Amino acid sequence: MMNTKITEPITRILSAQKAPLAMLLIFITMLFFKTPFYTSYNLIDLVNSNSTLLIVAMGFTVVLVAGGVDLSVGGVMTVSGIIAIELINSGIAIPIAVLISILFGAVIGMINGYLTVYQKTEPFIITLGMGVLLTGVAQQLTTARPVACDNPDFQNLANYKLFGLVPVLVLVMIVTVIVIVWILRSTSFGRNCYAIGGDYEVAKYSGINVLPTKTLAFVISGVTAALAGVMLSSWVNSGNSIYGDTTALYIASAVVVGGTSFAGGIGGAFKSLLGVMFIGLLSNAFNMLNIDSYIQQLLVGLFIVGIIWLDCYGRKVKRESV
Amino acid sequence: MDKKITTQSIITFTKNNLIIVGIFILAIITSFVEPNFLTVGNLQNVMRQFGPLIMVSLGMTFIIMGGMIDLSVGGIISLVAVVTISLIDPIGQAAALMVGVTIGLICGLLNSFLILKGGALKQAEALFLTYGMSVVFTAVALIYTGAAPVFMSYSKTDFSIFTAIGEGFIGPASTSFIIFLVCLLILYIIESRTHIGRSICLTGGNMIAARLAGIPTEKTIIFIYAVSGVMAAIGAVVLASRVTIASPLMGKGYETQAILAVVVGGTALTGGKGSVLRTVIGTLLIILMSNCLNLLGVTTYIQYMLRGAILILAIWLDNRKQYSEGN
Repeated sequence: MMNTKITEPITRILSAQKAPLAMLLIFITMLFFKTPFYTSYNLIDLVNSNSTLLIVAMGFTVVLVAGGVDLSVGGVMTVSGIIAIELINSGIAIPIAVLISILFGAVIGMINGYLTVYQKTEPFIITLGMGVLLTGVAQQLTTARPVACDNPDFQNLANYKLFGLVPVLVLVMIVTVIVIVWILRSTSFGRNCYAIGGDYEVAKYSGINVLPTKTLAFVISGVTAALAGVMLSSWVNSGNSIYGDTTALYIASAVVVGGTSFAGGIGGAFKSLLGVMFIGLLSNAFNMLNIDSYIQQLLVGLFIVGIIWLDCYGRKVKRESV
Repeated sequence: MDKKITTQSIITFTKNNLIIVGIFILAIITSFVEPNFLTVGNLQNVMRQFGPLIMVSLGMTFIIMGGMIDLSVGGIISLVAVVTISLIDPIGQAAALMVGVTIGLICGLLNSFLILKGGALKQAEALFLTYGMSVVFTAVALIYTGAAPVFMSYSKTDFSIFTAIGEGFIGPASTSFIIFLVCLLILYIIESRTHIGRSICLTGGNMIAARLAGIPTEKTIIFIYAVSGVMAAIGAVVLASRVTIASPLMGKGYETQAILAVVVGGTALTGGKGSVLRTVIGTLLIILMSNCLNLLGVTTYIQYMLRGAILILAIWLDNRKQYSEGN
């Protein structure tokens, strides 16, 4: 994809391929600093540590493409991880516990979908409220302390290395990405999502079953968020009510960097993958350069505002030029 | 309006104001179960908690009436609180207060500048931008203090104004209550007696129509964000004076509480209508609820949960009401 674009004018590349170019820039910049950035350990860790966010971003992309937004992903992630650990600690077999956690995500997605799609409320404020609610649930379940899993097998769910090399977490991430890319590109549901996000009324009068389709997008987002939560809890072997605190904002900006727009109807799962990896790379590079963590927070905040602002600005220019 | 109270009218009222009725029932139950509820000490306690939140909520009312949203108030509170308290020693308390309020104003103007220049005039877009700004403001506060809290009592110079705001009384009413009354009066006059108030409602109702009708929508948006920033700053000063500490994370959660207070009061999230007076009721109810739940021994975690649930419920019910009115 990169090769064909490089021959085109620079402005075109900048507008279409922001994330890969920026990633390239970071890779080149890091060549000039003596840091452990270019070690296989760091690069594998980079993929590993961003896997959970990638999984969340996939479902988030589907909702965004369908013209909605899901700010409850952080809450779903936290609670499902805690549910999995609590169930396993109470003696339920791991597969069943994981299944129940993911089912929980689906139910939350369904509630979000019902309220926003069928009842026509604003998705961002409803899912924001849902996020607050779920954070409360997580705190109540753990009394705001981290909980560890008693069963040592649970850790293997994410940390077991296939062929002694690839952690299962990365494998799950890759499978999720492939499935979502396939859903958005090659299924009628995926194409309908683009149509609904592009223009809800047109999609409705074109005979698309808008209500169930858009609700399903929310369910998918809930499922991926729950899956990510379970994998995160397994990866660090603990559930904590603060994990999902800023996830929604982080994911939203990463997805927008990748090229999916808040307006709906534009974007794709692969683009979101690039966006998340870019922000992951950025914070990794910051860490390697030993930048103070609060300055990092400031830079990431400014960066997020800048990216979202550019997304809005691009649409404003387009509106005015028509 | 029918003056007679019939069962039918009670049922309709309950249907339309489910949350308000719910909180009243909760208060009645609490007063029976917990005799401490109706004591002077507890009611003063309620008034003290009322102070910071009502300031933020009043500012948020204008924002929501104007069809926008502001999630950065949490960050503004943190930033203003740490800067103001830390400046008491170097520049004196009155100047520190001025600086604090000015920072709030600048933050609000910055928000409106980003929103207008970026064309983020949809509520969802404004939500994300101000959410990001909240991260920025909090990060600035963290860098400014090195993540440590600032203690007012460590100040070597006089901090009597802050003590007066935090603990003082003017006659029977606490100082923070007087500040609240003054703010409420000013905002209410702006809302009901000036063309700015009309502009806010019209902008929130239908921005394009308002612009075509000659309403200065851009100036209106700048105004509401500036008011929100200033009110958040006043809230920060009241809060910091009361707890005598300013921490760079102290504003966290105020944005959702303020939105909740506004929505529970009955100002529609869709914009165009509402009132600061409704927000006073909404804020009182929210504080009353958490006070009741505290007395009944409900954990803060479940209260957090309830806050989310009520926010969802309030918006859902309001939406249903609007649809049934529309049809």
